[in-house]
Amino acid sequence: MLLKRLTEAMGPPGFEDDIREVIRAEAKPFADRCDTDVLGNLICEKGAGNPGVRVMVDAHMDEVGLMIVHVEDNGLLRFRALGGIDPRVLVSKPVRIGRDGRPGVIGAKPVHLQSQEERGKPLKMEQLYIDIGARDKDDALAVVQPGDVAVFATECETIGDGCVKAKSLDDRIGCAVLLEILKRTYRLPLFAVFTVQEEIGLRGAGPAAHRIRPDVAISVEGTVCFDVVDAPGHGQATVLGRGPAFTVQDGRTLADRRFLEFLIAVAEKYNIPYQLRRVKGGSNNFAAIQRTREGVAGGAISVPVRYIHAPAQIASLDDYEHTIRLLDAVLREIEAGAWTG
Amino acid sequence: MADRSGARFLTELMSLHGGPGFEHRVAEYVKGALAPLCTDVCYDRMGNLVARIAGDAGDADAPADPHADARPAAASAARPKQRPPRLMLAAHVDEIALIVTRIEEGGFLRVAQTGGFDPRTLVGQEVVVHASRPLRGVVGSKPPHLTTPEERKKAPSLEDLFIDLAMPEVRVREQVRVGDRVTIHRDPLELMNGRIAGKALDNRASAAVLLECARTLRSLRHEADVYLVCTVQEEVGMRGAAAVVETVRPDIAIAVDVTFGDFPGQAPDESFKLGKGPAITFGPNIHPQVFGGLRDTAVRHHIPYQIELSQEPTGTDANAFQTAGDGVATGLVGVAIRYVHTSVECVAYADIEDCGRLLAFYATTVDRSVVEGLSCY
Amino acid sequence: MNEQELRDLITDLARPVGPSGTEPQMQAALLDRVRDVADEVFVDVLGNGVAVKRGDGPHVLLAAHADELGVMVIHIEDNGFLRLISVGDVDPHCLPGRIVRFTNGTVGVVGAEAQVKREELGFEHLYVDIGAESGVEARERAFVGLEGVVDEPVREVAPHRLAGRALDNRAGCAIAIAAFRSAAAAGRRVSLVFTAQQELGARGARTAAYRLRPDLALVIDAAPCGDTPGAERMELKLGAGPAVKIVDATAVVPARVKDHLLDAGKRLGLAIQYEVWPRGRSDAGALQAAAGGVAVGGISYPARYMGTPAVMIDLRDVAACARLAAEAVTSYPG
Repeated sequence: MLLKRLTEAMGPPGFEDDIREVIRAEAKPFADRCDTDVLGNLICEKGAGNPGVRVMVDAHMDEVGLMIVHVEDNGLLRFRALGGIDPRVLVSKPVRIGRDGRPGVIGAKPVHLQSQEERGKPLKMEQLYIDIGARDKDDALAVVQPGDVAVFATECETIGDGCVKAKSLDDRIGCAVLLEILKRTYRLPLFAVFTVQEEIGLRGAGPAAHRIRPDVAISVEGTVCFDVVDAPGHGQATVLGRGPAFTVQDGRTLADRRFLEFLIAVAEKYNIPYQLRRVKGGSNNFAAIQRTREGVAGGAISVPVRYIHAPAQIASLDDYEHTIRLLDAVLREIEAGAWTG
Repeated sequence: MADRSGARFLTELMSLHGGPGFEHRVAEYVKGALAPLCTDVCYDRMGNLVARIAGDAGDADAPADPHADARPAAASAARPKQRPPRLMLAAHVDEIALIVTRIEEGGFLRVAQTGGFDPRTLVGQEVVVHASRPLRGVVGSKPPHLTTPEERKKAPSLEDLFIDLAMPEVRVREQVRVGDRVTIHRDPLELMNGRIAGKALDNRASAAVLLECARTLRSLRHEADVYLVCTVQEEVGMRGAAAVVETVRPDIAIAVDVTFGDFPGQAPDESFKLGKGPAITFGPNIHPQVFGGLRDTAVRHHIPYQIELSQEPTGTDANAFQTAGDGVATGLVGVAIRYVHTSVECVAYADIEDCGRLLAFYATTVDRSVVEGLSCY
Repeated sequence: MNEQELRDLITDLARPVGPSGTEPQMQAALLDRVRDVADEVFVDVLGNGVAVKRGDGPHVLLAAHADELGVMVIHIEDNGFLRLISVGDVDPHCLPGRIVRFTNGTVGVVGAEAQVKREELGFEHLYVDIGAESGVEARERAFVGLEGVVDEPVREVAPHRLAGRALDNRAGCAIAIAAFRSAAAAGRRVSLVFTAQQELGARGARTAAYRLRPDLALVIDAAPCGDTPGAERMELKLGAGPAVKIVDATAVVPARVKDHLLDAGKRLGLAIQYEVWPRGRSDAGALQAAAGGVAVGGISYPARYMGTPAVMIDLRDVAACARLAAEAVTSYPG
């Protein structure tokens, strides 16, 4: 399964080598060419010489992860986060470290040895260590170096009723959507960009857009979803299974109204369910792309993902399929001249 | 320190005043030292100083208008014409400063930040107010006899501090305007073991690195055009850095900036030893091949070095370089200083020499194939 | 333009409801005021409204943000109440009990959940009651993404003084219009941009400057006074004349530009104040950062109660700002 290959690959921000290889292998048969730029963005072109609206679609390859920064005398590894991780989700989780995926576990002082006061407080990242089973510092340094990166060791599986559970669905689900789109052919210049470093400040997308100079850009992103017990209606952001979500305003973008209306019109014309993202927090690559050069038209299509940035995330396969259908429909409509810029 | 002229250059530079937006005198001083070693020197529109040392490939074409090129059909279209590789080494030369916001009754001045002072380090500090002529002043503090135990427990905020120019209000008002800049007055001190202490080592120490680099480079062959750049307004948000990328259009941009010297209680990965060589940064903000090239250079030339790990965009010009334009391969090196952002910052000059040599020898490795490889992942 | 004409212009310009993001609908009303003298007018992809006049001399760009603070509907409850998020840096404490007017004409009262302590009040505790008796009815009159503002019409509170909604920065738009018209009449090369999304961090200004590549960009905006009881420390006084920007949180004005503005003020015999606003977020930084560094300056009119629904300005300051801006544009040596 494509989602399994994508979500189980490693790729913290700045360290996207493994996931980039997986994606390149998937994209190569369908794209005219796949190139990397100086930041490591993977740019897949299809019909770049075609006349028509120049479209950039993007999904970020990177995922939140950890970096080993120091080895203690007893062989435990100190680490820091790469991207926004709530330290509360870290304790007692398995991880994989480095290119060969060496297993480790994140441990903390046993609850028995914690004072009443300590127990009430969340553990800080400085109180946690990765244990790879090393006997001491030298033993650990023989296999792990400071600067090595780690990701959650979560298996991708289908779960419940039509859902998938994995790490890094934010945004490997977007990468999967782009790869499905690349299999099809559109009569327009299409640039599918798998970007780096989204999780540390949308850093890959801007330079890619600066290079490509698109007329329209669409970011495909896994987004916050909290449609769970105790969440009020205006605290859910999105609802699982109710279709891809569009942004009206998030932490860094106000919707490009004309494009938002275009997205809605396409979804309605093709009878594809959609929802509006009902939260101001968070953002996606379109924020960076919109502000390049003279400004770029476009927006984001988001797939709801529960427990985003945590080790085990959940998405609906229906939402995934609908997102592919929607992006395909949007490109067909642009191809047919329905977007007039 | 066989040749003490580098250390003299540094201490002279530290004595000059130049907060964000008024770096010109500092830049001029650096220009005076670099010009004899460089092919040409100019300022860009932001006030960044750009000094170029042409590579052996011959004199380069001038930087082309970045916007003249039409949109290529393919994103991957090759550059219009071959030019020598461009390596940019950049040190910001602004220092943290204050700005006058109000002249109070009695002629006392209120100030705000332009850069990140810890207000606790300002109490009792001697300063220079850059009015119609430079005025010396003191940041006032209440004597212990008059403070309550409660007050002593609290750190002062910048709002509560004031500058005393020791002159009557009318004379202050004749000479000082709201908007005048204030910097620290501190003569550099030479400590043991070639260590130097004072204000503005962040980042004048790195300007000294550029000079050391230029000197070493004179006796070396290099294919790349090397641009030695002094950027402005880093301390208020890396404002000069993105602009200078447009001016120079480098293939590789290395920021030279100071990092944290070790001190009891600091985390092990945020503490670097003075005198143990420059710190080379590794992390998402840094191009892996630039990092690798710097480290390999250090090893090959027996230059001591330390590795600094970063997990996010660094708080240096390297942050702005990486995402400017189509993106730039970025590196970050620097010497460790203690007591960053105070008037008693402290550096080991041997680190500055090592850092300058590291960058010069690295420059000799940058050729066309290295540049072409930067986009190959 | 004299004070009277500026007052009428500002009052007219303050009528359209224009929180950030709705600029494209509002730009026509602004651009209509310069269309007759411009060679070209257009609205760009981010919603900036641009007017260009070809002529002699260096290219000077006047930039005044068109947007204002506002609110946006983010959720509609099944019982008909609307939930809000802010558009720009809006203090939630300003809102309870106020009337909100949305861009589609819908009007409602802002309420706050009663159990929430005052100091903990956030947007998640606010709602708008538009009088709807059901979610179905509410969805007919409002939608997620609908934007609005606190309804506070502009009033003349004293001779020379106006108070009300959107004066920040429709007064600046009026100043820029007046200066653009004078410069165009003088045959200068001048552009005008009513920038979009300034309140959200100068998002429009950067792309506009990238396209226009001026030799000088002059920001026309409000700056807060420090002359009210217990005010935050600022030197500016209402009615004491235009403020020349020295520094704000986004930019340090180059000495050359600052001196040019001060000299222009001196030639006109105007009383000038100095704007040092360390927390101020204007378009200046974004304009400066575009395209390899643009020379940037600023002329600000002092304003009280910035960030609230009722800003107060002095028309004498505005008139003097208009004269200063016109002089600065037409005399810029390049």
